[in-house]
Amino acid sequence: MNCDAARLAIGGDPGASTPELEEHVRGCAACAQWRREMQALDADILRALQLPPDMAQATAARGAPAWRQWALAASAVLATFAVFALWLLRPSDTLAHDVVTHVQGEPDSWLATQQVSAEELNHALSGAGVALHITSDKIVYAQSCWFHGHYVPHLVVQTALGPTTVMILRHEQVGGRRAFHEAGMSGVIVPNERGSIAVVARGSAEVGAVAGQMGGEVHWMPEPAPSPPQAH
Amino acid sequence: MRNSEPQSPVSSISGRLRAPDPRDPVTQLFESLRPDLLRFAHWLARDRAIAEDIVQEALLRAWRSRDALQDQRAARPWLLTIVRREHARLYERKRLELVSLDDATEIAPSPGTEESEDQLFALRHAIMRLPLQYREPLVLQVLGGFSTEEIARELQLSATAVLTRLFRARNKLRVLCGMTAAGDVTLNEGPA
Repeated sequence: MNCDAARLAIGGDPGASTPELEEHVRGCAACAQWRREMQALDADILRALQLPPDMAQATAARGAPAWRQWALAASAVLATFAVFALWLLRPSDTLAHDVVTHVQGEPDSWLATQQVSAEELNHALSGAGVALHITSDKIVYAQSCWFHGHYVPHLVVQTALGPTTVMILRHEQVGGRRAFHEAGMSGVIVPNERGSIAVVARGSAEVGAVAGQMGGEVHWMPEPAPSPPQAH
Repeated sequence: MRNSEPQSPVSSISGRLRAPDPRDPVTQLFESLRPDLLRFAHWLARDRAIAEDIVQEALLRAWRSRDALQDQRAARPWLLTIVRREHARLYERKRLELVSLDDATEIAPSPGTEESEDQLFALRHAIMRLPLQYREPLVLQVLGGFSTEEIARELQLSATAVLTRLFRARNKLRVLCGMTAAGDVTLNEGPA
């Protein structure tokens, strides 16, 4: 492989690796440097693509006169204060959003149909120091997920509403029941003895009854010693 | 890895099927992938409203042909392929250049952001400025996770032609972001 072919292979796919390319790069400092630059660029491209393009913001920023930029800055400050105030008043909204985002990140969870084994369920619960009084055959998904700095049980229960996610949040205190609708999901976060329980289902389902039932089944045990997060 | 795309024609509003059961696992799987599809369509079409139309139409097509999806793990690349083809159909039908390149070229980063944010901002708009022939394989590869061979099949190009376009796309991005360009490759681009 010569430098032209190596540059094409690297520029076309910086993550590519073939024996011929590796051999060439080992003996060619210029192509090795080109690959490092392309891999760095690719990481930035991925970050750039992970958000959709925002043309409205871009158009607004283009060619604006100075007074408008000051006005925009003032508006931004006011908006920041407003968001901060809203956040203070409704802290569980952020929590709800994070719960929804977490559920979206595990789309397969709502496709499960097989009852989880007692071992799987115990593994998901014990990491958070939680037990359930029930052993329902309706629990079809049970994972111990890293969420807000702690392992939390992430369960999916088959209910009359369809697959319903239950997250037992030992470290999330909420002042009262908080219902939410986001990203095509409906949910509720309810306070419990030592934290809170989040319940989420698709559509506009009323999940309060599920939250109430699950809340009564949770048994809090001493919290296990923390361990570092793992990829999940 | 991929399933074949449905062959049914684009549906009209009056001809649409009744809404799928939201509790159907396949419907739920498709809906869970909607944000990914929308982001992908948005980068192709550069217009959110059109991207939403494309995704809606693509999901309708996919739902009609859901029996073709043998392995649910293949749903994402399958749906991305349908979205890409839906965008190509729209582009072909209407010859849409959805956003003027001038609009994308005169954009300045917003003041007060960190340097890395500025760089990311510049890169996002550099991607927007790329002609579709370069932007499309780049988005397919980086965002969609498609291999060079899969992109080649999808775009009906040779693998070398795809690599050339991707090389040039990255080279253009380097220039648009203020870096020096590498020497161009001079391989022929042609259909496979």
